[in-house]
Amino acid sequence: MLLAYRCALASPRVTATAIEANEFPRLAEEMEVWAVPRIAVNGVPQWDGSVPERTFLQRVLSPGYE
Amino acid sequence: MPILRPDEEARVRELFAALERPVELLVALGPEPTPLPGAHDLDFGSETVRIAEGLAELSANVSCRVEQEPAGFPRFPAISIQPEAQDVGVRYDGLPWGYELGSLVGGVLEAGKDEPTLRPESREALATLDRDLAIDVFVTPT
Repeated sequence: MLLAYRCALASPRVTATAIEANEFPRLAEEMEVWAVPRIAVNGVPQWDGSVPERTFLQRVLSPGYE
Repeated sequence: MPILRPDEEARVRELFAALERPVELLVALGPEPTPLPGAHDLDFGSETVRIAEGLAELSANVSCRVEQEPAGFPRFPAISIQPEAQDVGVRYDGLPWGYELGSLVGGVLEAGKDEPTLRPESREALATLDRDLAIDVFVTPT
């Protein structure tokens, strides 16, 4: 979670939201949340699990991740 | 009931003492989803306020404000973590309980730093971003 927050704090183009999956089950289902952390970028589910900063940046900045 | 054990509270106080700028926790309240099974009579909004106010008591650099249905919040309850009372898009949607209290504390610590803590190459990569990115991280309290 903190990597996403750091990105939002570093760029005005980025927002980062932690979403408590149990509390918003409909959205969690839409985002196919079966494991956490589950990362979605621009409303599209992407990957599960924590990754190193370099990988995180590569993934969220990749044109395929949106 | 306190939100932190005494040892946890002491540790968070210590961490918050290192804040380099004020951080405001804007708690957004509004209509909530159907209560979760097993949640009994838990009022998620009131609990979220209690947690934000509890954290604000641990440092003069942390404050808490509560608003009803502010614009731009798709879900309630939610907390906007705001460095110097500026909305920079750092949020926690839901009640930050259990493990997730750590995410909120971590968000406050990050927001309280004058400079982002990403590596220089990461900051350079973000500086080239030519589109908006909304990163959602789904979490659970356990």
